[in-house]
Amino acid sequence: MKKIMLVCNAGMSTSLLVQKMQAEAKNRGLDVTIEARPMAEAMENLDSADILLLGPQIGYAKGDFQKATDKPVEVIAMVDYGRMNAPKILDAALAEMN
Amino acid sequence: MASGGGQSFLDKFAEVSAKIGNQVHLRSLRDGFATIMPIYILAGIAVLINNVVFPLFLTDDALAAAQYWGNAVTLGTLSFAAILLCGVIGYCLANNKRFGNAIACLVVSICSMVIMFPQTLTTAVANLTYAVSSGDSAVASQTLDASVLGATADTISYTGDVTGMISTTNTGANGLFCAIIIGLVATTVFIAFSNNKHLQINLGEGIPPAVGKSFSVMLPMLITLSIFAVFSALLQGLFGTNLPAIISTAVSAPLMGLMNAGPWAVIVIYTVANLLFCLGIHQSTISGVLAEPILTMVIVENMALYAAGEPIPADHYMNMQIINSFALIGGSGCTLMLLLDTFIFSKHKASRDIAKLSILPGIFNINEPVIYGYPIVYNIPLMIPFVIVPDIFIAATYGLTCLGWISPCVVQAPWTTPPVLSALLSTGMDWRAAVWQVIEIGIGMAIYLPFMKVSEKAQQHQLELEQQANEAAGHAQAA
Repeated sequence: MKKIMLVCNAGMSTSLLVQKMQAEAKNRGLDVTIEARPMAEAMENLDSADILLLGPQIGYAKGDFQKATDKPVEVIAMVDYGRMNAPKILDAALAEMN
Repeated sequence: MASGGGQSFLDKFAEVSAKIGNQVHLRSLRDGFATIMPIYILAGIAVLINNVVFPLFLTDDALAAAQYWGNAVTLGTLSFAAILLCGVIGYCLANNKRFGNAIACLVVSICSMVIMFPQTLTTAVANLTYAVSSGDSAVASQTLDASVLGATADTISYTGDVTGMISTTNTGANGLFCAIIIGLVATTVFIAFSNNKHLQINLGEGIPPAVGKSFSVMLPMLITLSIFAVFSALLQGLFGTNLPAIISTAVSAPLMGLMNAGPWAVIVIYTVANLLFCLGIHQSTISGVLAEPILTMVIVENMALYAAGEPIPADHYMNMQIINSFALIGGSGCTLMLLLDTFIFSKHKASRDIAKLSILPGIFNINEPVIYGYPIVYNIPLMIPFVIVPDIFIAATYGLTCLGWISPCVVQAPWTTPPVLSALLSTGMDWRAAVWQVIEIGIGMAIYLPFMKVSEKAQQHQLELEQQANEAAGHAQAA
C-alpha cells in the first residue's frame, strides 16, 4: 500500500484536492491512501508517507522537507493545483514512487 | 507571462520573502499561533453566547449565574492563552529544528515563562477584611466596608500586595509577546545545552530508553531554568521590575500603537503579503509574522473587554477581524467578487469552469483554486485588484468603525466563516456590519470587472500568439 501526503498552509485547499485524487484512485482500483496535512503537522508525520506533495503556495519549504526525509518531495505545478487536475497529479506521484 | 526585468525583480522578491518567511523562528511563531487558534474560536463562541444569547431571556442574578459558564471558558482560554502559546511555540520550534525531544521544549518554555513572573502582585481588592489574633483567641476582626472608613462604595478602592498569585494580565492577551519571546529563547538555549555531549547523563546500556531520555535532558533543563531564574532575580533585585512588565511597555505597547496609528501599517503589510501571493507564495508568510500576532492580541483583548461588558477603546479598532471578516471575503484578495463577476459577465469558458470549481470553497474563504487556476499568479491585470481591493476594505472598515457606523470587532470568528455571517459574529451581531459586507461585495465586483475583461483579452491574445508560434515552429509548446 502506497501512501501519498499532500501538504499546504492550513491543510484546507489540499483536502479539496485529496477528495478528487481519492475518487480518481478508487476509479482506477489503486491501492493507495491519500491524505492532507498542514505544514506543521506534516513535519511530525513524515514517516507515514511514501511521497510528499507540496501545494505551490508552500513550494519554498521543499528544501526543509527534503532535508528531513529521504522520501521524494515534489511541488505540485501551479496550474494543475489550481484546476484541481487530480488524474495528472496522481500520475506524477505514482511515477515518482516507482 | 511577464518578461525581462520585471520578471526577475518579482522572482527575487518572491525568493527573499520566502526565505524570510521560512526562517525557523518565524515559522515556529506562525505554527504556534495556528495551533492555539481553536481555543480563540471557542472563546469567541462562549463570549457571544454570554453577551448576546443569555441576555435575550435572562436578567440579573440568573444572567450572572449563567454567564459564569462563559466566564469559565474565557478564563481557561483567553486568559490563559499566553502560557499555552509559549509552550506550543517551544514545541513547534523543536520540531522545526528537528530536535528529537519536542515535549521537553514545551515543558522548558512554560517553566521559563512562569519563572519570569513577579512573585508579589500589587492588586485591587474588592473589600478588605482584617483579623488580629493573640495566641488562640481572636482579638478583633472586621470587614472594612466603605461606611467604616467614612466613604461611599463608589469613592473607595483598596489595593494590597499579595503573594502566591499568578496574574491573568501576564497569562492572557497582554502576555502573548512575552510568551513568544520566552518560548523561542528558552527553547533555543535548551536545545543548545542538550546538544552538548558533556551535559548528557548517560546511564549506560540496559536502561529503558524512556528513562534514559528523561535523564539526558535533566542537566540542560536545570541550567536553562536556572539562567532564567537568575535573570528574574536580577531584574527584581536591581530594578524592582519583571520581564513581562518590560516587554509589555517596551515591545507590545509600541507595536500595538503602530498598528492603530491609522490603517497604514496594516495596509502596507497586506499589500506586500498579497503581492507575494500573486507570485505563488502564501500571503501568511509575511502577514502571519508581521501583522497577525499583534492584531490577534488586539482582538483577544477586545474579546475580554466585551466579555466584561466594557467599551472598546479606539486604539483597539484595528484588529485581526478587520482582515478576516472584511478584507478576506472569499479568501485572500477577496476573490469571491471575481468569481461573481465571472458568473455574470464572462463568456470565457475556461474562466467559467474554474469559477464553478471555486465557488463553494470560495464561500468559505478558501481560494487556492482561483489563485492558481484562474490564474491570478503572474497574471498582471488581476494582480492589481487582488492587492488593492483588500487594502481599500481595510481602510474603509477601519474608517467606518472610527465613525461609529459599524461596531468594533469584538469576537474572533473562524476565518472560514462565510460572508454576512462572519460580519455578524465578529461585531457581536451588529446588522450594520453585515450590510457593509454586502456593500463591500458590490464594490469589489465593480473594481474587479474591468481587470477581468483585460485579463481575458490578454489570455485570448496570448492563446492566439501561441497557436501562431506552434504553427510556425511546427511543434507543440507547453503552456
